[in-house]
Amino acid sequence: MTIRAFTALTRRELLRWFRTPAAIVSSLLMPFFYLLLFGQALNIGKLVSAEHLSYAQAALVYQGAPNFYSYFSAGMVGFVLLFTSLFAGANLIFDKRLGFVKRVAASPVDRSIILGSRLAGGMIRGILLGVAVFAIAIGFAHLPGLAGLTVSGSPGVLGVAEILLAMMFLAAAFTSIFLALGFVIEKVDSYFAVMNLLNLPLLFTSNALFPRYLYPPWLQVISNWNPVSLAVDVIRENLFASSAYYPYPPLVYLGFLFVICAVLVSLAVVITGRTLAAR
Amino acid sequence: MVDPIIVVDRLAKEFPGGIKAVRGVSFDVAPKEIFGFLGPNGAGKSTTLGMLTTQLRPTGGRATIEGLDVLEHPREIRQRIGLVFQESTADDELTGRENLELSAALYAVPRGETQGRIDRLLSSLKLEDSAGRLVKTYSGGMRRRLEIAAGILHTPHVLFLDEPTIGLDPQGRAGIGTYIRELRDKFGVTVFVTTHYLEEADQLCDRIAIIDHGEIRAIGTPSELKERLGGDVVTLTLREEGADLTSAFRAVPGVLDVQRQDGRYRLKTARGEAIVADAVKCCLDAGAPLATVAVKRPSLDEVFLEFTGREYREEEGPSAADVAMRMNQWRGRRP
Repeated sequence: MTIRAFTALTRRELLRWFRTPAAIVSSLLMPFFYLLLFGQALNIGKLVSAEHLSYAQAALVYQGAPNFYSYFSAGMVGFVLLFTSLFAGANLIFDKRLGFVKRVAASPVDRSIILGSRLAGGMIRGILLGVAVFAIAIGFAHLPGLAGLTVSGSPGVLGVAEILLAMMFLAAAFTSIFLALGFVIEKVDSYFAVMNLLNLPLLFTSNALFPRYLYPPWLQVISNWNPVSLAVDVIRENLFASSAYYPYPPLVYLGFLFVICAVLVSLAVVITGRTLAAR
Repeated sequence: MVDPIIVVDRLAKEFPGGIKAVRGVSFDVAPKEIFGFLGPNGAGKSTTLGMLTTQLRPTGGRATIEGLDVLEHPREIRQRIGLVFQESTADDELTGRENLELSAALYAVPRGETQGRIDRLLSSLKLEDSAGRLVKTYSGGMRRRLEIAAGILHTPHVLFLDEPTIGLDPQGRAGIGTYIRELRDKFGVTVFVTTHYLEEADQLCDRIAIIDHGEIRAIGTPSELKERLGGDVVTLTLREEGADLTSAFRAVPGVLDVQRQDGRYRLKTARGEAIVADAVKCCLDAGAPLATVAVKRPSLDEVFLEFTGREYREEEGPSAADVAMRMNQWRGRRP
């Protein structure tokens, strides 16, 4: 019964998503423009060109990535996972307003299933969009006039599995934060205010967009522990075969990410249980 | 007397902030009964329903459904009851059938029976033609029927309906009443319904509890409640005053009292319609020229006035307790 309720609720999450192509397009639009315009315009690889940096120095800055744009594109996967997870909380608030949450909460279904199905839905959406970002970035490498993602390493099955796990953990961590917020907050506008308080600092203290080599030391420390950085590190270290530029193998980052993810998911379980309990 | 399916004993709910929404209500509901909770907004109807359906925790007294205490066995109770909320809770972006399939999964309806049950309910509730359409295209009445279908899909033993006709036009309202009766007859489900429409309570319910300010003021069948006010009055007016028909009318079974006043007879009775034919026959037999016949019954308005000491206020805004209750789900839809 539990599994059936879980799949039915998760299926519902995804059905709603697939039936609103506008939502899918708009979630893809932001990373798309970052890849198409922001990254191309702010290609700092051109600023710090060969005359200023030796090849070795450049490799140090980009932590083994062949160029800035490849480095940046891998970061965009973390970016899209972070921003997609926001929708899980916003959808939840809409569902509360529309009475759907009330209906599910009144059923005999376990509270953890209610959270779990939304978490699963959010993770699947995030991972599909993350893969789409990879595809777009790799595609750009083959278009004249555009910089793109060059996979300079050979991640292998294990590397791909690590990348997928990193994406899953990151999506789960953020989706649960934003779901917990969605359960607690009643108004969409308050939610968006709180959300901006979280997502921009999370993005800018990570190394998703820029090399942490350029950061002041205090920001580097924060950046090292930012879950976005941890996931992006797993992706980059695997994509660019750049273990020499990272103090630890990807599995270590993955482990830290898992711990953070587990803590945040447990927190969301507690908050959901409290919000949905009979008053 | 069969054992009651719902037993409520001095049930009370005080919300944080000291709002006493329900102040110790006691009543029983018999199996297969349609039991109505009638009262104005903020009387404590939805709060009582919330406690019986394990959405709210009582702060006093106890309530059992099929012998299970609402505080101790919420999960079991949820499986045994169906719940139709005041507001629409279906997913707009899914079709009617998909919504029902989702409910089937939430309530663990046996897989093999799911489609058959859904088909039967869709046709019972006249939704078979719109089952494949997204719910956002449904009218208010269709939505409410879909909600009822979702509420009864897992063959609950008790169906709770919170203001099932709120926001519907008179036609839609009448339809819902018919469907509820049909479902009771077909599935043998016990129905607990809250309403603030007097006529609806009168027509739909086997028994009614009148609730006001968190307390039950009267319980009984609609006709019992009205009888307490003296029952119906059938007035027969003759074109010209002839022989005294008083004793003839008194002989009609069901007539409790007859008053004669200038060619007009006022017959008191429990149920007006039941004696009209006989009373008219009396006139015809006596050759008295009958001008008009009128049946007037004490309305539930008067019943309400009698038992609560004040006029019934259907259009009144929500009370503080109501607001506290529905803060989350407020959609501003009031008739």
